[in-house]
Parts: sequence; C-alpha cells; structure tokens
Amino acid sequence: MTPDLSRLLNALGLVAVDTVLVLAFADQLWFRDLPCPICILQRAGFIAAGFGIALNLIFGPRPSHYGLAILGAVVGGIMSADQVLHYIVPGSGSYGNAIFGLHLYSWALIMFVAIVGGCGVMLLFDRQYESSGPPPLSQVTLPILAVALLALLAVGNVLSTLAICGVGLCPEAPGGYLIFHENLGLAQGTAP
Amino acid sequence: MMSLPFLLFACGLAAGWTSRREAAMGFWVAGVLVLLVLFRFHATDVLNLGL
Repeated sequence: MTPDLSRLLNALGLVAVDTVLVLAFADQLWFRDLPCPICILQRAGFIAAGFGIALNLIFGPRPSHYGLAILGAVVGGIMSADQVLHYIVPGSGSYGNAIFGLHLYSWALIMFVAIVGGCGVMLLFDRQYESSGPPPLSQVTLPILAVALLALLAVGNVLSTLAICGVGLCPEAPGGYLIFHENLGLAQGTAP
Repeated sequence: MMSLPFLLFACGLAAGWTSRREAAMGFWVAGVLVLLVLFRFHATDVLNLGL
C-alpha cells in the first residue's frame, strides 16, 4: 500500500467517523433526541478514535497513531457494550430512537468494532510508512477537510455538552438543555 | 465536567494542526483518562446478567 493510498483510506475513515458524529448531532437537534450521559461519552470515544486517524493525516501514518485510534475505539466500545448489555434482555427498555432497527448505542458498538478491524487491516501494510515527497494539493484537500470537521465537531460537543449538562455531571435522563433552564430559572422546582 | 474530554481532544487536534505531535498525544492521553473517570461515575448500575 503506497503512502498516497494510505492517506486516502485514512481520510475516508475519518470522514466516516465525522459522519457518525454529524448524524448524532442531527438526531439531537432535528429529532430532539437528547443524548444520555453514556451516549455523550461514546461521542467522545469516537473523537478519541478519530484523533489517531487525524494524526495519520497530519504527520503521516505511524503505528502509534493507529494505536491511538484502536485504544480510543476500545474505550468507546466498552461504553457502548455496557449500554447494549443494559437493554439486551427483552422487555428491559431502551434509550432514544431506533434507526434501521437498531438503537444508536448498538450502531456505535458496530462502528467501534469496525474501527478496530479497519486499523488492524491498515497496520498490515508496511510500505505506507515509507517517506514520500509532499503530496499535491488535490490529495490533501479531503484530509484537511476531514481533520477540520473533526476539530469542529469536538468544539461543537463542548458547547452541546455544556448546554445539556451544565458544568457538572449529566442527569441520567436529561429532560432539556439544563444550562438554559438554570439561567432562566426554569429548572424543576424553581419555576414559579 | 462532561465537556472536558471534548475540550482536551479539541486542544490536542489544535496542537497537532500546529505540528506539536507530543503535545497532541499528551492531550489525547489526558482526554481518555478523563473519559474513563467520567464513565466510572456514570456506569453505576449493576448489569442484570448471568455470565
């Protein structure tokens, strides 16, 4: 695998991670499906995994960067597996909307496993680590956009999480944007 | 508190963007550690499973 092909595949992988985070935001804002605390932590897991892929795009592919992506996906996968196990028994309920028959935490677990598998496959190819000259602009546009979008989504999640949870720990079942309720004195028990 | 991992990852990406690889990886490690601590605080229910 040439360095150019590795860069393209890493960029496509990061676009996939970005897409997951964008869809999570769409579900939150469009369908008003507020994320639970563990769901928020799973989003952070996706950013932790995407972080390693982003370093591959910024500094060139290295096994240590794939290691970060795998470890981030394992941490996120533990969280989504915990949530899947909470609801795995029929009749034990669920959280949020189902999309194509699976809840978001189930899709998240599948995605985290896919990231681990994808990084494992990428690590098989040693030629990608050979140094090559600076790539042409046409080959860096997609990587730059993918990394910039991941950074934007990380900042967006800082703001979103502050809005939902305030500065402390999140309520187990968020009923609204806590920071606005607190600021407006509309939190439960304080409303006139 | 819950937004801290995102903030650390955003700082790490900014460090990476400005070619400070070690700082970027340091922010990543800090972000994952905070993430695990927050998970410990929130994952308090015992799973009703017989393993």
